[in-house]
Amino acid sequence: MTSTAPSETPVLSTEHVWKVFGQKPERAVQLAEAGESRSDILAETGCTIGVRDVSFAVKPGETFVVMGLSGSGKSTLIRCAARLIDVTRGTVHIDGADFTAMNSQQLREVRRKKLSMVFQHFGLFPHRRVIDNACYGLEIQGVAKEERHERALEVLGVVGLSGFEYHYPQQLSGGMQQRVGLARALCVEPEILFFDEPFSALDPLIRRDMQDELIRLQQEMKRTIVFITHDFAEAIKLGDRIAIMKDGAFDQVGTAAELIRNPATDYVREFTEDIPKAKVLTARDIMSSGGDSSRRVESSASVLSLVPMLLNDPTPIAVTEDGFVIGQVDKATVATFMDEA
Amino acid sequence: MTAPASSERSAWTRYVPFLAVVGAAVAIQFLVTSEFPARLDNFFSDPVDSLGAWGQVNRRTGTHPLFTLVFNPLTSAVDGGIELLETILSWLPWYILPTGIFVLIARRRRFLDATVAAAAMIYPGLMGLWDPTIETLALMSFAVLVSAAIGIPLGIWAAFRPRVEATLRPFLDIMQTVPAFVYFLPLLILFGIGKTNGAIATIIYALPPVVRLTTLGIRSVPKQSVEASDMFGASTSQTLFKVQIPTAMPTILAGISQTIMMALGIVVLAALVSAGGLGGLVLQSLQARRSGRGIAVGLAIVAVAMILDRVGRSLADSDRSKKLSQPARYGLLGGLFVGTAGGRLMEWTRFPSIWAPRSFDWIDTGVDWAIANWSPYTRAINDFIGGGIVVPLRNFFIGTVSWPALMLLVAFIVWRMAGPRLAVFSVLAMAFIGLIGLWDLSIDTVIQIMIAVIIAVVIAVPLGVMAGRNERVEAALGPILDGLQTIPSLVYIIPVVTLFTLGPMPGIIASVLYAMVPGVRITALGIRNVPSESVEASETFGATRPQTMFGVRIPLAAPTIMTGINQVIMMVLAMVVIAGLVGGGALGFETVRALTRNLYGHGFEVGLAIALIAMVLDRSTQALARRFQPPAAT
Ligand SMILES: Nc1ncnc2c1ncn2[C@@H]1O[C@H](COP(=O)(O)OP(=O)(O)OP(=O)(O)O)[C@@H](O)[C@H]1O
Ligand SMILES: [Mg+2]
Repeated sequence: MTSTAPSETPVLSTEHVWKVFGQKPERAVQLAEAGESRSDILAETGCTIGVRDVSFAVKPGETFVVMGLSGSGKSTLIRCAARLIDVTRGTVHIDGADFTAMNSQQLREVRRKKLSMVFQHFGLFPHRRVIDNACYGLEIQGVAKEERHERALEVLGVVGLSGFEYHYPQQLSGGMQQRVGLARALCVEPEILFFDEPFSALDPLIRRDMQDELIRLQQEMKRTIVFITHDFAEAIKLGDRIAIMKDGAFDQVGTAAELIRNPATDYVREFTEDIPKAKVLTARDIMSSGGDSSRRVESSASVLSLVPMLLNDPTPIAVTEDGFVIGQVDKATVATFMDEA
Repeated sequence: MTAPASSERSAWTRYVPFLAVVGAAVAIQFLVTSEFPARLDNFFSDPVDSLGAWGQVNRRTGTHPLFTLVFNPLTSAVDGGIELLETILSWLPWYILPTGIFVLIARRRRFLDATVAAAAMIYPGLMGLWDPTIETLALMSFAVLVSAAIGIPLGIWAAFRPRVEATLRPFLDIMQTVPAFVYFLPLLILFGIGKTNGAIATIIYALPPVVRLTTLGIRSVPKQSVEASDMFGASTSQTLFKVQIPTAMPTILAGISQTIMMALGIVVLAALVSAGGLGGLVLQSLQARRSGRGIAVGLAIVAVAMILDRVGRSLADSDRSKKLSQPARYGLLGGLFVGTAGGRLMEWTRFPSIWAPRSFDWIDTGVDWAIANWSPYTRAINDFIGGGIVVPLRNFFIGTVSWPALMLLVAFIVWRMAGPRLAVFSVLAMAFIGLIGLWDLSIDTVIQIMIAVIIAVVIAVPLGVMAGRNERVEAALGPILDGLQTIPSLVYIIPVVTLFTLGPMPGIIASVLYAMVPGVRITALGIRNVPSESVEASETFGATRPQTMFGVRIPLAAPTIMTGINQVIMMVLAMVVIAGLVGGGALGFETVRALTRNLYGHGFEVGLAIALIAMVLDRSTQALARRFQPPAAT
């Protein structure tokens, strides 16, 4: 996805969010603030720190990816942001309103109008046909049957499920089931989409299909997305910005290029090391300012694809976006990414 | 815990406690007489008898608010409900019931179910059993409807409130442990004899499976489905009705199926308190020793079960996609309406029966032939089990062993099986039973129960192992097991009673037949669920088939098999009253006597004794089953 970083006010933001599981959350937060480690706090209070002082803001149309290993607190964070669980401390704002302070009536209103979620294990309703799964959100809002079915048919067409509307979810393959999950989330036209490892349960090939599908959809619909994954390649492919999470806290937040070029910690570096950087980074990621040349490449071209051009002629190449030159790449910079590949 | 130490102890020291107990028992033997001093003989029976008399008076010419405000209105309501159902069902022209049932089920295109249920409705008509079948159908539908109406909300409530579940659990446990007939007597005091008593006892007995399985079903709805619903802003009730209940529906239905089966299991017993219907006819067939008629009526009871089950399933089917087209639906409804109106005008309300239960009398000829030809063998078996086993055991435990010695032995065995708490409970239970004067009868009952359990287990476990290993064996056994479980046990006892005539044998055989079903099924399940990797691992070491069977399959299936044995015991207990009815005597017969002669106090005591025996047997075998469980991962 393109990383135009719009500078509007955030659609979704969290401010110093903590989530502690256990009986003595306040004590656990105090200990954590005093610098004690997660395991010491667990031993002392019996509490698990799920999320530790996390703040982030997601801009309209942005895809914000949270990446981390199993148990790092990704699900806990997204569930706090969606208020499926209550935060221990801190606040979540949606469109400037304090989401954490809302009563259940207001909470339902916001969820009906603005939010949707896609789950790792799909969370489909086995007793409903695909079409009734897809229009569930509209049904909850009280939309008449004809109208919601019409809308569901349309969305199912968009995610490539035409012809399967009257099947039951169990009769579909895993990839198709997750398309149903996606259609169900899109049907209500939400402002914010939460994805909790939606493709982790799928085969690699199908996973790639689904990623491409999501990129395609996002180009048209421009929703605000919070996407959880434990796969760094997926994070790079989908995310405008990526947060690396460890032990409940963010180690680093930045674009893929920023993470790869300047990993803040060894933990972040470890992820970036296995990545074929020349394939992942684009001309835009490594370009420097200025320069014009008769040779031009699209900003989204991969670094790898620049190599043959630079081998023929080592002078810098201009980088364009929407027909305008926005920078240049030179052979030396490209070379630094090649010897690691 | 002594567990780690016991493995190091040498072999013979492990027997020290056992030898000590036996020694003590022998010593006591010389000090005390065998007869239990029944000090509280009339302690319960007198007050309960006066309570019964008081109830009897109050039910008729009641002035006490408990009766005028609670029990009498409740009785009228239940009676009224059942009678209303009965009136409606018998008001309809006869052909409307089978066609109505067909249309109801076929509306979701379940044509096979619809045909089966309609045929099940026609059979009793052809057999000349229309009226008693309508009676039983009304009573059972009422009991099942009320069970579902109470059980489903209760189960849902318990699924959301762990406190509620914790409060309910001991009650449900007891309701399932205590054999149903025990409820009849206290209910007799409150509701008198009649349909209400039968219906309420059925409801109490049949309630636990709906509650349990509803709770289980709601709890097992995937968390993500509920969260998905929450994320769309669904309210609690929207999520409950649109997601949780529909997703849990198969499990809830399984609960209702079980409820129907359990309700059916006591149709015949309900006849003992004059609930009438088909149950009464089975009792009559038993008294007249007419196997054929018993079977004819028994099949009608099975038919009622099938109708209730299929109709229940169809009512719960929310799948609109299989709906018939609108013209077809209106056509069928219109047809039913016209059919009803026409039938009423022509007064076609009596089913044109072509047979009668006596059409099955040819079966009696077969039984007579068997009696004539097999009696030397049956007598030999009778003598062996009755004279060779039951009587000597009875003499030994009642006449020879002194009561404190027996209590010590039982306490020791229970303690080894289930630990000190249940051992203390069993001693108190025995002391209580002795004090109220039921010592001898209870020992007699337990001896017969044990013999039936041992025979049932010896047959069921090997059969179950075979069925678990071989699908063909399982497929062949399936219908037989289904039949044994659905046909009321009294029906297949009739030929057995006729064959074996006297003594405890018919009761034991009936108990074995009825109780081995869960034994076979659960054992087969346990064997089949042994992970194939464990079996293959054993085979790669070159283990022979028996080695794999006894070294891997059976040990891994042991907890499940023990659960099966526990079920066998519970089923044998449920048969105590029927065994007593057909010559087993003991507590079972006392129950029947108390019920038929309004011996409130005596019946109450007998019920308590049976309940206590059931609790000790159930808890100790369950504890044993848990001991076979491999330690849980931490
Ligand atoms: N309900 C809960 N009660 C107690 N501890 C919990 C609960 N939910 C999560 N945790 C703990 O919080 C920590 C973070 O869990 P979380 O599920 O957020 O991790 P994750 O990053 O999503 O991992 P995964 O990739 O496996 O999904 C873990 O240590 C987990 O054990
Ligand atoms: Mg997770």
